[in-house]
Amino acid sequence: MVVLVAAACGGGGPVGAGPSDLSAQAPGKDVKPAAKITWWHAMSGVNNDAVNRIVDGFNKSQTNIKVEAIFQGNYDDLLAKLNTAIASNSAPALVQVYDIGQAYMRDGGQIVPMQAFIDRDKFDTKDFEPAVLNYYKFQDKLQSMPFNSSSAILYYNKDAFKEAGLDPEKPPATFTEVADAAKKLTKKDAGGQVSRYGFGPSIYGWLFEQLLATSGAPYADKGNGRDDRATKVLWNSDAAKKILSWWKAGVDGGYFYNPGIDNDGAANAFNAQKTAMYIESTARLRGHINTVAGKFQIGTGLYPRPDDKPKDGGNIIGGASLYIMKSRPADEQQAAWEFVKYVLSPAVQAQWQSDTGYYPIVKAAYNEGPSKEWASKYPQFLTAVNEIRDSPQNRATNGAVLGVMPQARQRTQKMIEVVLLGQATVDAAADAAVNDINAQIDKYNKANP
Amino acid sequence: MRHLPNYVVLVIVALVVAFPLLLALSYSLMSESEIATFPPPVLPQAPSLDNYATVFSTIPIGRYLLNSFVVAGAVVAGQIVTASLAAYAFSFLTYPGRTLLFFAFLSTLMIPWEATIIPNYITIRSIGWLDTYQGLAVPFMATAFGTFLLRQGFLQIPKELHDAARIDGASSFRFFRSIVVPLSRPALATVAIYAFLSTYNQYFWPLLITNQPLMRTTQVGIAQLRFEETLRWGLVMAGVVMVAAPTLALLIVGQRQLIRGLTSGAVKG
Amino acid sequence: MSHGGRPLLVGLAYLAPSLILFAAFVFIPLGRTFYLSFFNTRSTGAPTSFAGLDNYLELLTSEAFRTGIVATVLFTLYTVPLGIALGLVLAVLLDAPLRAIGVFRTIMSSTIAVSAAVGSLIWLLLFNPSLGLLNHMLSLVGIAGPQWLIQPQTAILAVSVTTIWLTLGTNVIVLLAGLQGVPQEIYEAARLDGARGLRMFTRITVPMVSPSLFFLLVVDTIAVLQAFTQIHVMTRGGPVDTTRVLVYSIYLDAFQNFQFGFASAQAVILFVIVLALTVIQFRVVERRVHYQ
Repeated sequence: MVVLVAAACGGGGPVGAGPSDLSAQAPGKDVKPAAKITWWHAMSGVNNDAVNRIVDGFNKSQTNIKVEAIFQGNYDDLLAKLNTAIASNSAPALVQVYDIGQAYMRDGGQIVPMQAFIDRDKFDTKDFEPAVLNYYKFQDKLQSMPFNSSSAILYYNKDAFKEAGLDPEKPPATFTEVADAAKKLTKKDAGGQVSRYGFGPSIYGWLFEQLLATSGAPYADKGNGRDDRATKVLWNSDAAKKILSWWKAGVDGGYFYNPGIDNDGAANAFNAQKTAMYIESTARLRGHINTVAGKFQIGTGLYPRPDDKPKDGGNIIGGASLYIMKSRPADEQQAAWEFVKYVLSPAVQAQWQSDTGYYPIVKAAYNEGPSKEWASKYPQFLTAVNEIRDSPQNRATNGAVLGVMPQARQRTQKMIEVVLLGQATVDAAADAAVNDINAQIDKYNKANP
Repeated sequence: MRHLPNYVVLVIVALVVAFPLLLALSYSLMSESEIATFPPPVLPQAPSLDNYATVFSTIPIGRYLLNSFVVAGAVVAGQIVTASLAAYAFSFLTYPGRTLLFFAFLSTLMIPWEATIIPNYITIRSIGWLDTYQGLAVPFMATAFGTFLLRQGFLQIPKELHDAARIDGASSFRFFRSIVVPLSRPALATVAIYAFLSTYNQYFWPLLITNQPLMRTTQVGIAQLRFEETLRWGLVMAGVVMVAAPTLALLIVGQRQLIRGLTSGAVKG
Repeated sequence: MSHGGRPLLVGLAYLAPSLILFAAFVFIPLGRTFYLSFFNTRSTGAPTSFAGLDNYLELLTSEAFRTGIVATVLFTLYTVPLGIALGLVLAVLLDAPLRAIGVFRTIMSSTIAVSAAVGSLIWLLLFNPSLGLLNHMLSLVGIAGPQWLIQPQTAILAVSVTTIWLTLGTNVIVLLAGLQGVPQEIYEAARLDGARGLRMFTRITVPMVSPSLFFLLVVDTIAVLQAFTQIHVMTRGGPVDTTRVLVYSIYLDAFQNFQFGFASAQAVILFVIVLALTVIQFRVVERRVHYQ
């Protein structure tokens, strides 16, 4: 009985805020897929090779559809280019957009929600990771198909732990534990200068979003913008202020390193052992292992959470997903869906994970060879997988959806900068940031009815 | 020997100016592991060309360099023609509205690039010039910077030469072609160098109007070396060196041209 | 024949190639931007409703705009005068007829071959507070280098230094060309009059290269007011908006926040500022330029 109810409720939240079956938005089942479609993505380097591997595999596996994958710069540049293309009616059939571009894609009315195809074909998503799916749903309908998913974890230097008398197999898990460990791990040189800081998080809006999620606190109202369009942000909640105070205390106390907004700098500081711990995406794990090249042992732990470990707290998925564009003709949309289904096959998912370090979306992928090899080679990765699996699914952990998410993320960064520089109190900084972005949200909602 | 202090100063200053580029070269020969150490390294312990090999296998750098050269070359040709003609009109010709037109030219330098890039994309797309050399080059073939620079140079040419030519019955264009242009070789060389380099170093416009990997240019290539999830300094620096090397080579050659032109008694009367 | 008629036609004939290209790729787009600045726009840039002067009013009364102006002014003041002065000093050094001077000339103008993106990346590496060579070298002589890109006071300096380095090549080339165009007779005549060293420099050299100095003043100011890449790579407008110069703010509003109407209004304002500044430079400064 309980199992039935759980299965019916999916991601949790009000049901029926629109038609329950979106099949009508997809092309008819018997529409013949187009012979050629284009896919715009932002994957460079090794990930680019992995993308090409998928595309080549698909093209070789059948003769009806040919997919052309084109690199269009990083996520920001790709979105800017996409926006321009939409304005001049030259968008591709399939495009990869980062997590915070969700609202923009949906509000623009430019996409065919994946739910439409799922409903039409009665496509089975039972085996999909719920956490990953839930991020890309609005009013419980899947808008895009997750493609490269990651989450945030704590990276730590096991050798440094041993040196400081800490148990290298027991990384700190709460704010106070992190602060205490950081104090012990900070060391100074003969001249009194700090030669290694305990903890060095970069000022990255995404990390703040994750800290709110582990606190079980929403980022914005209206169910984090997922039940309806958000009207305001909630960064002046107690949970948010606790996060800011903890961060400030660490920097003021001299045991947290402040790399500013330079994420690469923070990663580099960890590699160079200028910091003993830091927080970032699982997508960086392989890069760290390759660069550190055995100079010290890298450990991964759960993302920090408040001391009282709220049971609503969990992690939000990050990364990017695939959108099918409505402006393309029906046959191209059909072809795009065929390709998406191929990408979701367990073998392809496992290979993608092995090539890039992103999670598979389908659980069956973990049984495939490449995935098993990956797990044995990078056991640290399991922390991330379990962290996501163990996260309760609620609106806070689903992550926020805002039309002004890029600005919001930037504004949280400014808010943290102001607090760390001591230019304002936590209360004042949070209120100022909230007011600024609420005004932007109003503007957005008016401009995009 | 009495010049020794001069040389010492020159060497020191040269080192300071060239330091960032030398650093890029040095880092391009290091492994990521070596770069991510404290204190930060200066010279590679075990220099290797691995990063360069990776650049080759990550992006079609040869093709990108070719494209950049072709487009930049086209822009140079276009700018030399349009700018010298326009500069002549702003220095030797008189007509009503000249000052206003000059300011109109200068004003094109003052327009923020964001204001023009999207309408230009739409224009280029509508005439079918996406993914073409023309699309990459034509919008930049007129230059207020070059016009201004040449105008300053033309204004230095003694009026007597112009008067003499007029007395000889030479047409305006004849004077332009046979006297003004040859006398302005250094300035023209400067315009050419500048046009080449600024086109070569463009990022956003090539990104916007090219989709085909075969039509892309060097700066887009360097961006492809900056990965979303990790920054590999050695790799990026190798790309940087490979992209900057041809232009530096061109500068060496261009420099000598410049000097030769300058010391041939151009404006000494 | 009408008085201005034929000369005007001749003038326009020479200007035609440039004017046609400018009309198509600069003036018409500018017109569209000007038009958009009076509208509210959707994310895709399409106008939705007439906003009149709302965008402008919102801008001029916003704190963010005031911060942007301050950042822009500071950035320009730190970068342009120093950049030109350094260029002149180097050009004078390089003007000497020494052996192998060509090598030094090439090296000192080499920054012109480096794109803003590439240069910013290298300086980003140098300015890194803990792993950058700059602070490490400073620490070797006992100075504790600041957190360059994190402290509000130093971030704009760091971007300035990067920009000065990037424009050094241009400044050196233009000034060297200017210096080389000064006839030797003038120096000799001045030397006969007893001029030496600094006096020679201020009384003869500087006036003689004033056309080049003026050119660089105008061009460098315009370029700095449009400098976007360095900020995008190094600071993203931070910390706390201290490097959020106007042109970067326009980028954020146009390409990150997709508020085209609002961004257009900023673009128009920036254009007017640059135009006014240039007109002032021409009216006030060009008067003191000595053309031969």
